Amino acid sequence: MDFRRWRTRLGLFLAVVGPGFITANVDNDAGGIYTYSLAGAQFGYSLLWTMIPITVALIVVQEMASRMGAVTGKGLSDLIREEFGFRVTFFLMLALVATNCGNVVANFAGVASSLELFGWSRYIVVPLAAVVVWLLIVQGTYRSVEKIFLAASAFYVCYIIAGLLAHPDWKAAAVATFSRPTTAGIRNYGYIVMVIGLVGTTIAPWMQFYLQASVVEKGITPRQYRASRWDVILGCFFTDIVAWFIIVACAATLYAKGQPDIKDAADAAEALRPLAGNWAYLLFAGGLFNASLFAASILPIPTSYAVCEGLGFESGLDKKFHEAPAFYWLYTLLIVAGAGVLLVPRFPLVHIIVVSQVVNGIVLPFVLVFMLLLANDRELMCAHINARRYNAVAWLTVVVMIALTPAMIITQLRNG
Amino acid sequence: MSLVALSELLGASVRDASGTVRGRVREIAVAPQDHPTRIAFLIVRTSAGERVVPTSALRAFVPTVRAHSDAANWDRYAPSDGVLLLKRDLLDQQIIDVHGRKVVRVNDVEIDSTPVNSHLALNVVAVDVGARGAIRRLAKGIVPTFTLRALLDRIPPRVIPWQYVDLLETDPSRRVKLKIAYEGLSKLHPADIADIVEDLAPAEREAVFETIDEEVAAEALEELDPKVQVSIVESLDSDRAADIVEEMDPDAAADLLADLTEDHSGQILKEMQPEERQEVTQLLEFGERTAAGRMTTEFIAVPETAVVDDAIEALKKFEGSREALATIYLTGAGHRLVGSVPLVRIAISSPAAQLSDISEPYVACAPDTPQDEVAALFDKYNLLTLAVVDQHERLAGIITADDVITMLRHKD
Repeated sequence: MDFRRWRTRLGLFLAVVGPGFITANVDNDAGGIYTYSLAGAQFGYSLLWTMIPITVALIVVQEMASRMGAVTGKGLSDLIREEFGFRVTFFLMLALVATNCGNVVANFAGVASSLELFGWSRYIVVPLAAVVVWLLIVQGTYRSVEKIFLAASAFYVCYIIAGLLAHPDWKAAAVATFSRPTTAGIRNYGYIVMVIGLVGTTIAPWMQFYLQASVVEKGITPRQYRASRWDVILGCFFTDIVAWFIIVACAATLYAKGQPDIKDAADAAEALRPLAGNWAYLLFAGGLFNASLFAASILPIPTSYAVCEGLGFESGLDKKFHEAPAFYWLYTLLIVAGAGVLLVPRFPLVHIIVVSQVVNGIVLPFVLVFMLLLANDRELMCAHINARRYNAVAWLTVVVMIALTPAMIITQLRNG
Repeated sequence: MSLVALSELLGASVRDASGTVRGRVREIAVAPQDHPTRIAFLIVRTSAGERVVPTSALRAFVPTVRAHSDAANWDRYAPSDGVLLLKRDLLDQQIIDVHGRKVVRVNDVEIDSTPVNSHLALNVVAVDVGARGAIRRLAKGIVPTFTLRALLDRIPPRVIPWQYVDLLETDPSRRVKLKIAYEGLSKLHPADIADIVEDLAPAEREAVFETIDEEVAAEALEELDPKVQVSIVESLDSDRAADIVEEMDPDAAADLLADLTEDHSGQILKEMQPEERQEVTQLLEFGERTAAGRMTTEFIAVPETAVVDDAIEALKKFEGSREALATIYLTGAGHRLVGSVPLVRIAISSPAAQLSDISEPYVACAPDTPQDEVAALFDKYNLLTLAVVDQHERLAGIITADDVITMLRHKD
């Protein structure tokens, strides 16, 4: 192949890489890692088949968000406000703040529990993490922050190494990935709950807001969009490969040795220690810390952006505090509240997280339907509306997600 | 006269001459071709389809709309590009607040209704961008109208008078029909225009730069981030882009063209006037991070034999940037640079004084001097301008202090 053309293509790709890759990776946050660990510990390799449909769904949804960002140059909440009016936007934003607040809490909890494994007190670690996160965003520019985020994404490789160290049965894992689910599995209630959990942890409303906003902020144009699509696709693949390795690592150890009960993601790391060795333990704990801190830094951003854009407040990280007070206050509040509740003794953490997951489930169908309507709006998207076949897949994804949502809410409420 | 909010009118029931409810208000239209603020007609959704009720046929406006014509006489609504539909084109959309110099989102629109003879005159007076409009729309239909009005009266309004509103419209032909010319925006300081433009989506940026005066566009473009400059210039057709680039400072124009693809910068150069093209091409040949890449070729140079009056004459004719005026350069035989006179010295000397008498030793550097050394020279000699001379000591261009500040701020 012509080397120069290849190099130009690579250059084009590198110019747009970032938003898709980062968004997909944050998806593997503390909650996600726990869900994957639990899936492996309780059901072994038998849930690996879900990874393929989940990847497809993730790509379809993310691709729409990034395409809308590139074509319209506007954020998702901007578009929702312009097309669906003020009232809808207001309640959507209210719900988004509620669910993301819970997500931020969950991820600061991940920071705390991963470092508690090494004997560090949460009363030192959590405030420190909150300050680091706050300073990172308030002091950084989009470009510098993106570099740090990309580095954090690369750090997920440690889960892949942990998977290798667990010495899984590669053949069985590969077969389980490409085979249909067994009927015996489907009749099992716990199995179904776990499938719902896996899907639910993969596609979250905030991701679409974040992705579209950062595509806009990066200034990606429709002409660069072909390269940008690869950013999304590779990001989704990498994310789900990491998830696959987490499941495999836990299946090869915890499931094989009959230890299916883990309380959280840090617990999974602890349980791995005697079975897969010190290195696997360290990688799992370090991976959790990275993922939690990463997600805790990112989540408040799209929340503040979406709310301020949708409701018409000044927003943007390039503005000063007094120029965009609503934006910075909301951002600060999310971090302070998210980190603060962890320092309150006997705080009903689990309940908060369950409630936020339920709100998450309620918001998601709306966001997905709005996205589909917008992505099919010819006046808005011109020649870039969904292709017909693509649309069929997209609608199918959305319908499945919507059907799973009430089921997910019910199981969440039961467990909580 | 009384003020009514657009959100209160939308969905209000409409009665015809017989007093029967015939439908509900779906849209309110202004025809800018006829009158910039007057409401031309309402679009009413009736059981027979969408009908047009002209304002001249309205007797009352609140709480229900009453017309003194029969529903049978209302025309069918035919969509047209030339009318501004307040709900579709304004409500929830972004506009430019020319007075506050920023981009804001419209929460509601305030309409003034005044009885004139037998009918009503309705005019758009302001857009609401504050909490009042937001709460009104949130509570509409949930809280009783009376309570809501009492509540809203206690919220301080945040409105932008209609004359300070510039609409964003990306379709050029519609822009003409709706008479959108960004007149208010054009009068702002170029740096403010640039700030506003940075808050817009790419298509809207393009719309602004297609419409506003070339000179204003050029100055605003210079104030923008280089990446945004490139994306705007790429979106314009090369004819329009050339018109704007011609008006830019040659050094800024050269920096911009250097960032474009060769194809594109070539096309723009081809469309430019020969004189400007030559200046810019010369600058393009130098490295961007050297003295020559940062200099402008628009400066004031007079023969060393000239008097103060000649310098003032040259100042009056000068068309380049104001920063370049800080120093008047003196040239001797063969256009060699021999001295420099600060503007202050000109101001305090008599018109007949010889420039060579008030001249000071000049500071100059070679075209290939790296930009860091340029900044060091400015610092050391407290300069406002620095001369760039070629190997024969001829004046090739000057660097101004504002260029150095920009350079230091964007070091990466």
